[in-house]
Amino acid sequence: MGGKTTFYEVVRQRGISRRDFLGFCAMTATYLGLGPDGAGILAHAMQTKPRIPVLWLHGLECTCCSESFLRSGHPLATDIVMSMISLDYDDTIMAAAGDQAEAIISDIIRDYRGAYILAVEGNIPLANDGMACIVGGRPFKHQFDEAAKHAKAIIAWGTCASSGCVQAAKPNPTKATPVHKLVQHVPVINVPGCPPIAEVMTGVISYILTYDRMPELDNQLRPKMFYSQRVHDKCYRRAHFDAGQFVEQWDDEGARQGWCLYKMGCRGPTTYNACASIGWNENTSFPIKSGHGCIGCSEEGFWDRGPFYERLPDMHQWGVESNADKVAAIGAAALGVAVTAQLGATVVQRVFRKRKPEEQAEHKEPTE
Amino acid sequence: MKHFIPYHQLPDEGIPDSVAVYGPGIRSWHWMSALMVVVLCLTGYFIGVPPPSVLGDTSSLYVMGWIRFFHLSSGYLLTILAVMRVWLIFVEKGITYHLFVPAIWRAEWLDGFMRQIRWNLLMVSRPRRYVGLNPLAGTAMLLLFVLPTCVTIITGFAMYAEVSGHDSWQYWLFGWVTSIFGNTMDLHVIHRLAMWLIVFFSFIHVYISVREDILSRQTMISSMLSGERQFRR
Amino acid sequence: MTQVTTPNGFTLDNSGRRIAIDPVTRIEGHLRIEVNVDSANVIRNAVSVGTMWRGLEPILKGRDPRDAWAFVQRICGVCTGVHALASVRAVEDALGIKIPANANTIRNIMHLALYVHDHLVHFYHLHALDWVDVVSALSASPKATSDLQQSISPWPNASAGYFKDIQDRVKKLVGSGQLGPFRNGYWGHAAYKLPPEANLMAVAHYIEALNFQREIVKIQAVFGGKNPHPMWLVGGVASTINMHGTGASGAPINVERMNLITDIADRAHTFISQVYIPDLLAIASYYREWFKYGDGLASKNLLAYGDFPSKANDDSNSSLLLPRGAIINGDLTKLHEVDLRDPTQIQEFVPHSWYSYAGSNAGLHPWDGQTELDFKLGEKTRKTGDKIEAFDEGGKYSYVKAPRWKGHAMETGPLARMVIAYASGNRRVKELVDGTLKKLDLPLTALFSTLGRTAARGLEGLWAAEQLKEEIANLQAAIKSGNEATANTEKWAPSTWPREAKGVGYCEAPRGALGHWIRIKDEKIQNYQCVVPTTWNASPRDAQGNIGAYEAALLGVPMVNPSKPLEILRVIHSFDPCLACATHVIGPDGGELTVAKIL
Repeated sequence: MGGKTTFYEVVRQRGISRRDFLGFCAMTATYLGLGPDGAGILAHAMQTKPRIPVLWLHGLECTCCSESFLRSGHPLATDIVMSMISLDYDDTIMAAAGDQAEAIISDIIRDYRGAYILAVEGNIPLANDGMACIVGGRPFKHQFDEAAKHAKAIIAWGTCASSGCVQAAKPNPTKATPVHKLVQHVPVINVPGCPPIAEVMTGVISYILTYDRMPELDNQLRPKMFYSQRVHDKCYRRAHFDAGQFVEQWDDEGARQGWCLYKMGCRGPTTYNACASIGWNENTSFPIKSGHGCIGCSEEGFWDRGPFYERLPDMHQWGVESNADKVAAIGAAALGVAVTAQLGATVVQRVFRKRKPEEQAEHKEPTE
Repeated sequence: MKHFIPYHQLPDEGIPDSVAVYGPGIRSWHWMSALMVVVLCLTGYFIGVPPPSVLGDTSSLYVMGWIRFFHLSSGYLLTILAVMRVWLIFVEKGITYHLFVPAIWRAEWLDGFMRQIRWNLLMVSRPRRYVGLNPLAGTAMLLLFVLPTCVTIITGFAMYAEVSGHDSWQYWLFGWVTSIFGNTMDLHVIHRLAMWLIVFFSFIHVYISVREDILSRQTMISSMLSGERQFRR
Repeated sequence: MTQVTTPNGFTLDNSGRRIAIDPVTRIEGHLRIEVNVDSANVIRNAVSVGTMWRGLEPILKGRDPRDAWAFVQRICGVCTGVHALASVRAVEDALGIKIPANANTIRNIMHLALYVHDHLVHFYHLHALDWVDVVSALSASPKATSDLQQSISPWPNASAGYFKDIQDRVKKLVGSGQLGPFRNGYWGHAAYKLPPEANLMAVAHYIEALNFQREIVKIQAVFGGKNPHPMWLVGGVASTINMHGTGASGAPINVERMNLITDIADRAHTFISQVYIPDLLAIASYYREWFKYGDGLASKNLLAYGDFPSKANDDSNSSLLLPRGAIINGDLTKLHEVDLRDPTQIQEFVPHSWYSYAGSNAGLHPWDGQTELDFKLGEKTRKTGDKIEAFDEGGKYSYVKAPRWKGHAMETGPLARMVIAYASGNRRVKELVDGTLKKLDLPLTALFSTLGRTAARGLEGLWAAEQLKEEIANLQAAIKSGNEATANTEKWAPSTWPREAKGVGYCEAPRGALGHWIRIKDEKIQNYQCVVPTTWNASPRDAQGNIGAYEAALLGVPMVNPSKPLEILRVIHSFDPCLACATHVIGPDGGELTVAKIL
């Protein structure tokens, strides 16, 4: 973690002895009313690295990412917030509001330039000069741009920030735009999901802090450790898929046996997430375990790959409500008609033109 | 193979000598590919729309497993055959490149193309005769078979790459495809649409072959068996 | 304007100093509040500005109605599930689908779990810091805190050592100079009244509640697979029951799952009754004046759609555990019938919202809702550079529409629900309300206030925790009697649907009355409209100048220091705002949205 030195390092550089430093801590602790143990705590805090400041901004979103984050069981969200990072701005839980809240952002940018992490929940609307999301009287875009410019790294929480999510579904009336499309020169980590799994969120943060490096990302900027495998490949119902045992309709015998939800439109085969392995709410369940197919909420554009209960998505570009098999059926019908027509016409023609001289036929050929 | 000659439109009149058009490589490629296409389309269809559930002991059943196994292994074989087909261009030479490169730069090609369309619309009573593929057939094969096959192979391996993981050679070769689409659901849809094109092609191909065999004054089906094309009046 | 009286009886004066709070934090979404204070720093005018718009409803047009729940669920991730519930009910209503009794019970369980969770999180994590001075907790005596804790509750985490540990953690945080979410808080503000020990106790419970809340939602995860945003299903629930046979261990609901939710419900009930309610009463007893401030519409007009049908597919008041109804002009003796289908009852107005109706300013019933985005700022808007300093409430000033019930601005939420249940004679609610008022020695009218709202929410949390246990027992009993059905698939296939249909889905979200109106045509959504709790409460003015609940509640509230707007946060937080919910529109038949260029 570059940039910021600890308070202890600063005073030692100025020629102050360790004994003096501890004395200072004791005195400060007394002033702060921290009690007899205060000095030790203070000294420890000042000798260790400062916790990395995190600004957690909210654009167009539903706060499900924050809520999910708070559900983390290991580490507990309280431990992350109180001991691992310094969550200086998150308008869902922060004490300050209004001017006092706004001031924090400019203070952090000033004091920790290039050394803070920007977490973004939701995305940035560009339509209407960005006025579909106004924060502090200004378009959210302006706040985002300033905070993004000087960040050490950006974590894009959830599918909103990673690829757009529901407000970016067609026709995307606010022109909601994911984070990575608006940022240059600052590394972006996408942590998709609607919301992402709590332990994946805290896992990404604790990985960065513990190993002091960014997680390895795939070509969609997602941490490989959590997003490189399909839900389908880790699903506890996979054996039923391979066996050919499917839920055919809701609440049928297969559903009660926990058979595969493939025919009910489950998006597990095209969804890259840790739901089937890490599980939700401390591995209490995940959608398939609770009997409902995956809707693919961590995938780009998953809203426009519906209906969620059909194996094949609608293909709106064909004008009618259609999917690949329906298009094929229409094609097959057309083909059938053409072949039948040609066969019929051939037979008719052969019967009537029987034994006409070839030359004559050649002369009749239309020239166009 | 003394009569083996390049792309060639034969005179309309008379009965030319029979010619050797398809070498043993092309013929075996054709029939093996045909088998693979049948297996792939059948299994592929059922991967998208699985057959009714099977009752019984899950651990002793492997219905979808086998369907996928045959699909994936046939996919590999089809790919190998496709590579082999390209290689045959250099081995058997002659007209073998027509499948990939219709001779559109030749005036007679376009004329033949139009003529062949008219023949199929029953507007002329006698088709032309060719040593290799007629221009319309060549175009259809390129658009309805060669390209869709390439698409299925690329999207197929891209989906395979997603399963086999980032460290696999499939990912190394085909992982880029997923970044074009973002959502791999699109890969499945395109793969399936391409499959339907190939299914259509197969039907048209069989139908036209039989039809031409009867009506077009030249052998079709037997040529792909014997390699020789014979001509009638 | 300097001084005007609104038709709904409030006097507004915008001549004094103007203060803007933006962002209002510890809420869902983006909200801005502007007030004018007089020379004594008393609020005389208030303006509630919804500052975000996501346009979810145009997105819904043309989609499969069975998918709608997933889209609208993403309106809000805090009160997660409420929009999904209203949506599946709307689709079922439109298509005439009857759900099995178990599905109704399971939905009730999921919804009650949300109530318990949401109210708890709201109190400790969104609202408590308005009353609790975290830094003051540093000077508390752990021993005295322990005594305080033991005097109000049998909760076991009550030793002096425990509070000492908590205090040390906070000391470490404060001592590090990096306060994280407590940075720039209003610590030391004169409006904080709790003694250090009460503050330390509350901080301890802030942490405990944060750690415990994640347990409660596991109930939703059991039935819905995940939380936030669990899975729902038109026609019932997807979580099938397999209690006795083979494969039960892989089934969504089996005996282990039932044991898990039973255990969580028990612990949730204990936490609510031993931590939340005692803390609520303790804090309330130090802030008695806040039973006077922040009334607004509460003593006048209250609205609830009712929820928790005890009988599946029956939304009459004889079935609803929390009744539907409206109270007008504070007359608790008369509960008005509320009909969500009646085009003359619920209407939305947009003269002060960033939308426009073609041709007129009349109100529109949601089934016929038509709106076009019309972002225009009033003439008196003050700007510095890109920053809007003050909006002009004379013009359009919010993305929130102004819904009215028979022309009345209404307040909705836990207070409305508790008062309406009280007025309708619900025995348990009467017991809870009367008991609490007696403990605090307050009259019934004290409920119509900032702390009244907060108290009603807490009491409802307790009610929900009790009811949650009961509904789980009901599910057990039904399964025991051999009923394991969870979904009705008769009308699952779109081919079985009528060509055209319309329906309405109701729900009482933790924040208040929520309605979804849907029109289905040719198997697709033709029109979708939501009128949500915060639309009612955060409503801007209507054409007549009637002000909404937030604006009304802020009037008359005295501030110690207007530049540190703690009092405003108290009032607004008592409503538990959810702005992502409140701000959305759909065009007429999903038509093109026209957008006016800003300035």
